[in-house]
Amino acid sequence: MGFSFELAVFGSTIAILIIMGFLLYYFAVDYRRNLLGNGNSELPKKESNAILSKMSRELSFTAFIMDDSKSIGIRYIITSLALFFIAGLAGIGMRLSLWFPNPSFLTPVQYNILLTAHGTLMLYGWAVGGILGLSYYLLPTSIRLRKDSLGVVSSIMYWMFLVGSLFIIFSRSTATWYFYYPLVDQLTASGGGTLSFGSLIGVMLILVATVVSSIIFLKMIFLDRDESIRLSNLPLFAWSIVSTAFLIIASAPVSIIADGFLIYDLINPIFFQAANGTALAYAILFWFWGHPIVYVAVIPAFGLIYELLPRFTGTKIYSYKAGVLSLLLLMVLSGTVWGHHLFNSGLGTVWDLIFSTTSFIVAVPSAMSVFNWIATMWVGRIRITVPTLFIINAIIDFIIGGVSGVMAADVGVNQLIHGTYAITAHFHFILLGLTTGMAFAAIYVLFPTLTGGRNYNIPMAKVHFYLTSIGTWVMSGFWLVGGFAGMPRRVAGYFGIFQTYQDAAAIGGVILGLGYLIFLINFLYSGSRPVETGTGNILEEEVSA
Amino acid sequence: MRKLDNKTKVELIWIVAVIAILGWAAVSNASYLHTNSVNIANPVGSSPEGVVINVTGYQWAWAFQYPNGTISTDVLYLNNNTTYTLMVSSKDVIHDLYIPQFGVNVYAVNGHPNQITFKPTKAGTYIFECVEYCGEYHYEMRGTVVVT
Repeated sequence: MGFSFELAVFGSTIAILIIMGFLLYYFAVDYRRNLLGNGNSELPKKESNAILSKMSRELSFTAFIMDDSKSIGIRYIITSLALFFIAGLAGIGMRLSLWFPNPSFLTPVQYNILLTAHGTLMLYGWAVGGILGLSYYLLPTSIRLRKDSLGVVSSIMYWMFLVGSLFIIFSRSTATWYFYYPLVDQLTASGGGTLSFGSLIGVMLILVATVVSSIIFLKMIFLDRDESIRLSNLPLFAWSIVSTAFLIIASAPVSIIADGFLIYDLINPIFFQAANGTALAYAILFWFWGHPIVYVAVIPAFGLIYELLPRFTGTKIYSYKAGVLSLLLLMVLSGTVWGHHLFNSGLGTVWDLIFSTTSFIVAVPSAMSVFNWIATMWVGRIRITVPTLFIINAIIDFIIGGVSGVMAADVGVNQLIHGTYAITAHFHFILLGLTTGMAFAAIYVLFPTLTGGRNYNIPMAKVHFYLTSIGTWVMSGFWLVGGFAGMPRRVAGYFGIFQTYQDAAAIGGVILGLGYLIFLINFLYSGSRPVETGTGNILEEEVSA
Repeated sequence: MRKLDNKTKVELIWIVAVIAILGWAAVSNASYLHTNSVNIANPVGSSPEGVVINVTGYQWAWAFQYPNGTISTDVLYLNNNTTYTLMVSSKDVIHDLYIPQFGVNVYAVNGHPNQITFKPTKAGTYIFECVEYCGEYHYEMRGTVVVT
């Protein structure tokens, strides 16, 4: 390639943007110094209460220039909610376009762009971002942080996360979130998208941010928690973050390296193009992270149920030890099952047997948690509130999603449903019911704190709950049945025989969308009303300085 | 706070039930793999059973090459009650041939051919699809299986 004028303009624009970014950052740091004075150094060292009371707790854009843990958490919560709505719109667009068997108002390329954006943003933006946000927000109070350090690192990681998600949005990649090798490096509109490497860079940025944040969480939990909290009474949410963080640190770097190889292969194809089907080598590297990421999305939701359930049943969790054991077993076992995504790729019978057996075993710790919650509700007195509804729905959806997952772990059954909507239904039950449901339950619990003393409108919140619950059931339920009938996923058009399932799923998708729209309206409406209560919430103990 | 009546009994029931169900599933899965290992996707290697059909996936169609050398695209012609082995490969990106009614689901990877054996037992017309995302016209990599 010789000198290119466009490239020079592009490069200098980027350079100017970076310089402007540094200037903005300098002003922001200066502004913060004025706000805080010399701040933290004056605080008595072991007064975790004093540190916590200094942290801002409301959703506000001041959080974007403050470096304390709670502000970072608020940044992630705002960003991941925004990404959730963007990716949700993409999902609804896909559903509506699939109303007819032939591509209707979306061309196949447009459909594939939405497909990729929906998957990548929902996983990396919403699930991972939301977990980072809730962890940064809840961990300091749940472990009574003694020392809030590494704020600058957390802040830089947040900006990397944001830039990464912008890369994903604007790359308009059509390679889906798998980025399988030969496709992602076909830089054409009909292959992986002309700028698909942009979404690779975005994913790498997000993964680096996630790994570094996980290290910060481990540091918070193991080094900086209050002395009064021993490992034997560490809150279960903190245990779930321990489990998640180890899982991320162990597996995400593999994906970062694989993505780097993909980008390198664009210029000089040596890693995956050599010989002997090494296209599969990328698939293996990818699933080594691609399976743990779904546990990364699920385990913190387990932690939230463990934290919230006792508060709404007026009892302790049925078995704290079984809870910790279950979370740690999930961490260990979920690292061993990734091959079940590749049963029919020609791994061979022996590997199929190993991976399907480990996939059956990983159901044991999940079942332990589910029975633990059921027993807690059994012995307690359930108080029906909006978060309780979300919790109960999450448990039911997780059971259905989990059982359909165990079915798919059987190699014989997997032959029938691999790559069909049954799989989509399996993970939408879990990710919509459990991960998303618990995130919204947590937002409702934290609502007075996040909005500085406002209550949410309960009838509207209930409508939100019922619409999303029914929507999940209609959409994923019809997908599950259609998947067993052989309806393929990730298609812009389909055989006419599947139209019933697709239309029903489209209706379910619209119901879901309406539910989240009502959440948004409720949030804006209730958040703008006059202050009516205190800013405490039951998830965080009130810290009095 | 109430107490769980028959605490030990309840715990025992759910521990035993879960382990029994999962154990049964794992054992039946292992025995299926043992007896039907040719019916799942395996790398090409062992001697193929029955009639061999070479399948090539490319963006965006499937080509089926029969033993007599003829090639058909988008339609797979089979005879009833005959054992077939598909040798599946790809010219470009990763594809996945899926025939729901026969439980055939096998990746097509460039440079890594896979084989799978099956036997249609009922005449009729069935569908096949590509179920590994492969670009713009992924959804059009589908067709019919005609069993006569």
